[in-house]
Amino acid sequence: MVIFSGLEFIFRFFPAFLAVYYITPKKYREWALLLGSFIFYAVGELYYVPLLFVAVWLNYFFAKKIYSCKDTRRGRKCRKDRVIAALVMDIGLLAAFKLLGAFLGSAVLPLGLSFFLFKMISFQIDVYRGEMVQKPGFRQTAVYFVMFPQLVSGPIMRFHEGGFGEEEREYSWEKVEEGLQYFIAGLGTKVLLADRLAILWKDIHMIGYESISTPLAWLGAAGYSMELYFDFWGYSLMASGLCLMLGYPFIENFRHPYASKSISEFWRRWHITLGSFFRDYVYIPLGGSREGMGVTMRNLLAVWLLTGLWHGGSLNFILWGLVLFALIAIERLALGKLFGKFPLIGRFFVLAMIPVTWVIFAVTDLRELGIYLERMFPFNEGGIAVNPRDFIKYLGMYWYYLLAGVVWCVPAVSGFFKKHRRHPAVVLLSAAIFWLSVYCVVSMENNPFAYLKF
Amino acid sequence: MKEFIKKCPVLLVLAASGLLFSLIGIVGRFSIYREYEFHVTERPYLTLMMEGISKGTMPWEAAEAIGMGADEFPGGLFYEWGNRGQMIGMPSEGEAAEALPQGGEGEGSVSALENGEIDLGGQGAAGDFAETANEGVEGKTGEAVKGGAEGNPVEAGEEAAAGDLAAAAKEGAAGNPVEEGEESAAGNSVEAGEPKDSNGQGTTETKTAEDGRTYSFQAVTEDYFNDAAFIGDSRTVGLFEYGGIEERADFYAKISLTIYDVFTTPVAKDEETGKKITVEEALMQKSYGKIYLMLGINELGTGTTDTFMEEYEKVVARIRELQPDAIIYVQGIMKVTGAKDAEDEIFNNTNIEDKNRAIAGLADNRDIFYIDVNEVVCDAEGSLNAEYTVDEVHLKAKYYEIWKQFLLEHGIVK
Repeated sequence: MVIFSGLEFIFRFFPAFLAVYYITPKKYREWALLLGSFIFYAVGELYYVPLLFVAVWLNYFFAKKIYSCKDTRRGRKCRKDRVIAALVMDIGLLAAFKLLGAFLGSAVLPLGLSFFLFKMISFQIDVYRGEMVQKPGFRQTAVYFVMFPQLVSGPIMRFHEGGFGEEEREYSWEKVEEGLQYFIAGLGTKVLLADRLAILWKDIHMIGYESISTPLAWLGAAGYSMELYFDFWGYSLMASGLCLMLGYPFIENFRHPYASKSISEFWRRWHITLGSFFRDYVYIPLGGSREGMGVTMRNLLAVWLLTGLWHGGSLNFILWGLVLFALIAIERLALGKLFGKFPLIGRFFVLAMIPVTWVIFAVTDLRELGIYLERMFPFNEGGIAVNPRDFIKYLGMYWYYLLAGVVWCVPAVSGFFKKHRRHPAVVLLSAAIFWLSVYCVVSMENNPFAYLKF
Repeated sequence: MKEFIKKCPVLLVLAASGLLFSLIGIVGRFSIYREYEFHVTERPYLTLMMEGISKGTMPWEAAEAIGMGADEFPGGLFYEWGNRGQMIGMPSEGEAAEALPQGGEGEGSVSALENGEIDLGGQGAAGDFAETANEGVEGKTGEAVKGGAEGNPVEAGEEAAAGDLAAAAKEGAAGNPVEEGEESAAGNSVEAGEPKDSNGQGTTETKTAEDGRTYSFQAVTEDYFNDAAFIGDSRTVGLFEYGGIEERADFYAKISLTIYDVFTTPVAKDEETGKKITVEEALMQKSYGKIYLMLGINELGTGTTDTFMEEYEKVVARIRELQPDAIIYVQGIMKVTGAKDAEDEIFNNTNIEDKNRAIAGLADNRDIFYIDVNEVVCDAEGSLNAEYTVDEVHLKAKYYEIWKQFLLEHGIVK
């Protein structure tokens, strides 16, 4: 049920919740959301509900303690001690579970752990920095931490972005409608594009990397790059659409990253809430880029190692972080000026290098990774039983998804729909995409063998 | 209200269409969708309509069906549905061996039940009900199809070596049969069960046909495949792509091909007309010296071994009819890995072995031979060697060589 594109969520949980939510008087809606979110989490992972509850309560408790320190010299010290205690708890919890996960398999990781703990960390630091407009109450704090649209995979909204505790929240049918359209856009992006392209990546895995032709290796990398983007962007659109429907702001997590002119820009436009988290809570506190090139590089390295670790514990993620660090460092030191003059070169660089980084991200086994990269850059004649025409077959099978994906990566396309979203044709298109997506989900769900056709 | 329409058009369209689809689902539940496995606590009614479309039943058929058979409450149907699902556990060897034609045609509901139910292939969900029975049986046994054009159709437009070398392979057809009065290898369903045996290179197993003539498997060279055709599912597609014999042999293979739709699904391209043609049509156009058949894994969740074999025999008989001179190799279904075997209720080795035993029973060792590639791709436990595969089912590209070598070691030369 915790998957937004699942039938239970679309047809059972969310409509029911939405009805209850809007029937509930405004005063109590935050409670309704809190309760709904715990139910949502309980259905997803019942035995971690106590953990979530305790984490929420302890973080609220610490934040209140930090907030209540006086603004004197002693008070500032107490503030610092308390925020450190809170951060040790949150980061410790994250690290402990990540370690457990590394040894026992990712199944032991509580659902959404990395996301809700990051919210908690940012919350503590924001309280410490005095960025709260007013003393946060338990209800708002808890809703912020656990609101179900963001609970499982973000976006990692900041407290102040959520419009908590300011003037009364505004609810309107227009917002519901707009949120619904975002939700549908996300659903279609995930189900109609990402889930289809995922099969291409699986197919390539099945062949065995040593036997794919170089064109197929690149096709696979391109397909995977799109799959990952559409999967996460689609998810983020759904999540933010849901937030909008509930009267919360739309949080942008992706801004057409593949249209970037440099790798650094790509990462400012990809998973924006994570990038800005590391920027605000790691990079800038360490001195950012103001203290000379050496310090800047150190800070970048810290951010990218952490980003790598956050995505997963295995070695390839660290390697992935390091490669991105290297690329961004090279841009800072040398290529940046070139890209500034000739944006086309920058675009080409992004489109050529990012798929390579995603391959490093995707292939967790280092030996297999080496083989794949060797097939992408076949400097020495490698490959066993390669069928040189294999990519023609896969192009034939997937060209329409790839083409649609390329089109959907162009900022102007979604901009067009956004602008004309109230046009009857777009309204009907939205409905059509919704039902087509549902159709695809149904034929998958009720034919569990859909992926298993031999 | 008017204002509301202005404010929330998408929401309204979805609500209205959702309601309509639900109604169709509810109405259809008592007519066109009644055999679908469905429980209202598990998924909404409107998914029935979607499921119907994916199985080829259009929602408007519900309108025609209203009032027909609505008196029967669908709840009672679950039981029957459950009964005919997947077969698990294996019949004794005796049962497997006697999976011979029963002439199941026209036995009303029973034959419909046996033939119709092919969920995997996405064919219309045929019912075990008299009203729908006729739908289910449709198009199984191949009706004669007009072919005419004589290209050498291969999937993916591959240019196949024409059958001019066929003559070479047929040489010695007169003489060779080795007469070695060995009786041990006779019988039907014996070797299927043995996972690994000693037949390495050059070893010959002697097969004794019913008429006493025997043929030995012998090593052959690659040109043996020049007049061969391969029919199969995704595994055979893999052999086509990575086995290195695509230039020699013709391949009629398609992902998710089953014994039930092998003659009805278009898999080959007629090189003259460019039209997609079925295996049956292709076999009418060109004559082959050898036909290799490997089908059955997609069907594991469908019917029983008996129903499967009934269809399998029909297919083999039809191939025999179309290709009277060809050696037919019925290949045992390649197994899955131990990991898959342990977790999958349907796609496991018990089920595969069961079918393989039955398939082996088809061999007459005169012109139909059973060969089992599992002898060379399995581990000591008799499961597909985990090193050879990523997805537990398909060989990785570089290991198709093993299969090819196995075929080369198991040639029959008449």
